[in-house]
Amino acid sequence: MIKHLMAGIQRGLGLHRPARGLLILPDDIFLVSFPKSGNTWTRFLLANLRFPEQPATFENINRLIPDPEGTAKRDFDRMPRPRIIKSHECFDPRYPRVVYIVRDPRDVVVSQYHYHRKLRKIEDDSPIEKFATRYLAGETCPHGSWGQNVATWLYTSEGSPRFLLLRYEDLLADTARELAKVVAFLNLTAGPELIAQAVERSSADNMRKLEKKQPDKNELMKGSRKDLSFIRAAGSGGWRKDLPAPVAARIEAAWGPLMQHLGYELSSPTPSETSQVPGVRSQENLMARLS
Amino acid sequence: MMNRLIAGGKHFFGLHPPGRNLRVFPDDVFLVSYPKSGNTWTRFLIANLVYPDKSPDFSNINDLVPDPEAMAKRDLERTARPRLLKSHQYFDPRYPKVIYIVRDPRDVVLSEYHFDIKRRAIPDDFPLAQFVARFIRGEVNHLSGTWFENAASWFYTRRGDPRFLLVKYESLQSQAMEEMERIASFLGIATDREQIAFAIAQSSADRMRELEKKQAHLWSSTRETRKDKPFIRSAKSGGWRVELPESSIAEIEGAWSGLMREMRYELSGSSLVGARRVHSGLEDL
Repeated sequence: MIKHLMAGIQRGLGLHRPARGLLILPDDIFLVSFPKSGNTWTRFLLANLRFPEQPATFENINRLIPDPEGTAKRDFDRMPRPRIIKSHECFDPRYPRVVYIVRDPRDVVVSQYHYHRKLRKIEDDSPIEKFATRYLAGETCPHGSWGQNVATWLYTSEGSPRFLLLRYEDLLADTARELAKVVAFLNLTAGPELIAQAVERSSADNMRKLEKKQPDKNELMKGSRKDLSFIRAAGSGGWRKDLPAPVAARIEAAWGPLMQHLGYELSSPTPSETSQVPGVRSQENLMARLS
Repeated sequence: MMNRLIAGGKHFFGLHPPGRNLRVFPDDVFLVSYPKSGNTWTRFLIANLVYPDKSPDFSNINDLVPDPEAMAKRDLERTARPRLLKSHQYFDPRYPKVIYIVRDPRDVVLSEYHFDIKRRAIPDDFPLAQFVARFIRGEVNHLSGTWFENAASWFYTRRGDPRFLLVKYESLQSQAMEEMERIASFLGIATDREQIAFAIAQSSADRMRELEKKQAHLWSSTRETRKDKPFIRSAKSGGWRVELPESSIAEIEGAWSGLMREMRYELSGSSLVGARRVHSGLEDL
């Protein structure tokens, strides 16, 4: 009862987090990805590009590039437009323009596993095999599985002029080049110098320093274990070392065709068609069309 | 400010329709479709199968198979479980069990056109070709996405999943008994052919027309609409062959040929003439 009343008052004052109820404006830009796919890094990159007068930190990032799940409605209403908004949601037809970041699902599972250890959602010594089973079933976060999240966006929006697909791996390989694509897509005015500055301010080293200074300033890590860092490897291909081969094979069996479509090389010969993962059969046709 | 306080108060009492913020329970079953794809008919079919003693009609269908866009949060949370819910939402990873009804988009657009005249969204003489163009751009049902986006978002994520059942409106018409048997078995309902035949008869277009005549004022979707236009219209498939302009057929087929083929909707071929592709994504590979 009291909780309800508080929620009502918060809503009246605009202090609640809008989540899916966010009022979307026609010039909004959404920075979307499955969790643990480089969203925070890209958020820093874009914040440093868009607001060069105030370097992005874990303290101000929720205001610069807000998160409907973590920023108050009032702050959304006060932002300069066009707004750049973070999201992990599956396809949403209301989003006017979307930058979608995709990352190799074999690296994503490793990243999410360590993040859940940091958040104390799983035991330190919980086997990654067990985590991967839940990950494949889409049970490790409320945004669908990696395959579902990626499929909803690619099938509906790939090729649309309002949709820009970025691979985390390409961002790592040549950050300035990929950022220039975003600048063009969003019609921002940013020359090479500004881009270089954004890349520098958002480097893994700099973000690690910021994390050390502000370990509790963001919802992403509030109350989490301090002996594990949010900014971890910040690399790609770690799965080859950290992920048991059978787990990688299961991921490839579930999402092989999508992965190949995105240019992620498979380590096992061909995706197994007898896998038990839901949604696998849905990929068969896609595979036929891709081959 | 006042509006906000009223909204806050409504939230406090749970009187607002939750829409996409619906609280989902693990035993929920969703009846999902793009608008004007046979959702109401299927709602009646299923309600007559599951709750034959409640005599489903337009006065109680919202209670039997509730719509989170139209019903108060409070009432939705009081609905007996397991709940059967109606939805026009694009993919939502939280929906546990989903029956997805798909209908030929060339018929969907016609149905939507007539419905929009009925609900005064467009005037009587609004050009159909212009309406089709808006339909393809997703401007007609902004909150559900386009026909293609809605269907693709479910189909490519859930097909093959045992908790997902794809039902074609056209099959429901041509072989209602078989399709209803599939639905009953998906819902885990013990039923026999007699009960299904009863549900089909109770949900016939003629009977629903009769009910509409008596009860249009009792139902959220017809309450404030024009009385000279029926909600239950032709209840047939293939009307597009007669009613849709050639160029509009070509536009639809040109935009969504991949998914239409996947759903086994035969293309008329007119799309090859001057059609414009809206997306050149995965479906075209």
